[in-house]
Amino acid sequence: MSAHGGMYGTPGGPVVYDPMTLPVDDNVNAYTFCVELKSGEWFLQKGKMIAYYGAIEFNGIGHGRLDRLVRTSFHSPLHASDWVVASGSGKMLLADRAFDVNSYDLDDGNLTIRAGNLLAFQPSLALKQSIVPGFLTLIGTGKFVAASNGPVVFMEPPIRVDPQALVGWADCPSPCHHYDHGYLTGVLGGLRAMTGLGGVSGEEHQFEFVGAGTVLLQSTETLMGEAATGVVPSEPGVPGGGGTGAFGHGPQPSGPPRLPGQLGDLQRRFGL
Amino acid sequence: MFRLQGSKVLAVDMTGDTVKAKNGSMVAYDGEMSFKKLSGGGEGLRGMVTRRLTGEQMAVMEVKGHGTCWFADRASEINLVGLQGDKLYVESSNLLATDAGLRTGTTFTGLRGASQGNGLFTTTVEGHGQAAIMSDGPAVALRVAPQYPLIVDPGAYIAHQGDVRQSFQSGVTFRTFLGEGGGEAFQIRFEGDGLVYVQPSERNTIAGDL
Repeated sequence: MSAHGGMYGTPGGPVVYDPMTLPVDDNVNAYTFCVELKSGEWFLQKGKMIAYYGAIEFNGIGHGRLDRLVRTSFHSPLHASDWVVASGSGKMLLADRAFDVNSYDLDDGNLTIRAGNLLAFQPSLALKQSIVPGFLTLIGTGKFVAASNGPVVFMEPPIRVDPQALVGWADCPSPCHHYDHGYLTGVLGGLRAMTGLGGVSGEEHQFEFVGAGTVLLQSTETLMGEAATGVVPSEPGVPGGGGTGAFGHGPQPSGPPRLPGQLGDLQRRFGL
Repeated sequence: MFRLQGSKVLAVDMTGDTVKAKNGSMVAYDGEMSFKKLSGGGEGLRGMVTRRLTGEQMAVMEVKGHGTCWFADRASEINLVGLQGDKLYVESSNLLATDAGLRTGTTFTGLRGASQGNGLFTTTVEGHGQAAIMSDGPAVALRVAPQYPLIVDPGAYIAHQGDVRQSFQSGVTFRTFLGEGGGEAFQIRFEGDGLVYVQPSERNTIAGDL
């Protein structure tokens, strides 16, 4: 029996934790995060708690006693079914399918994150739907925990990032799409696009960030599972809201859809 | 002597002694080794019948020789557990290797096993020596003491050791049926004195969506 490991500690085995030695609101290892509750509350995604010490209660959102809390922190009621409020006192461990987990502190700030990556957050933060579909925005002061496939890398704009590697962004404007279409120009490019030989790298589409802020990237291109972000009101002018056509122009009718490899493009290129 | 080489490969240094390991988990060896398949987990005819009946089947081989043998299985994380006369309870699918000096057996787990979808029986390892258990992501070892019981999600539980009582705790309320369940409907409560190993990932359990 080792002196430091206690009764069942094993040299070379995992470190043994108890309620006193578990970290407070910090990582236990790269894949497990420990949250300390002192008669407080945390929001977490359903089913991400793996173990806890103490007296902690898990309640689905919408339950009467917590309604007030929910109203002040949630602004997308349909979202609510994916979330659970943990309340009580103790220490609980959070993990998500052995993905990397990390905590982030917001100080009167804002951060937009892919919905599937957000694991848990303090009720002092307000969770809102981003107008970018599939993303959520956290606003306020507090701590949140996010999962990523591989460690997170922080970058500063201006930067173009691969869509699959994007985890989120803070403080800077929402990204726009960027396409590298240079390879399609010229006669050689046209032939290349038509025959599909050479050329296509699979990296022609990126998200482009500008302005001041931070961009969070994961170090693989494997996406995390999607999480529902709730439905946006179906109004004209709301992206993803499905309200189209009543005003403005709507999609332009432009004949049969044209694929890049079609001869039509080549003809146009040669001015035929 | 068991040691970890990285977190996913187990190296065992042997000087004529033997080691029991999951069948087919040897990835390399150095020196002179012989591999022998053990039917029924090397527990004799009775053990073999018990394992067949309980569904805790374990394909085990006995490795004997001089040199170093390396074991790994599907890039799972490997955790070393030392036993000093106490008992380790682990699912047979999570057990990679044990010292030859350790006895393995089968035991009834009751509702905990059922809630994990692992069946009603589990494997026990007993004696003095080392065992290697596998997990999806590095395991966290949590101490249970009389003054602080531990509650664990069945999907994240992998093993426990020591003098620990477990009971099944259900968080199912009428709200679960209203679609407002807390997401943690079934939990295992550990009390007593010992260690519980959890992995940072949840297997799919029957109760997973409640």
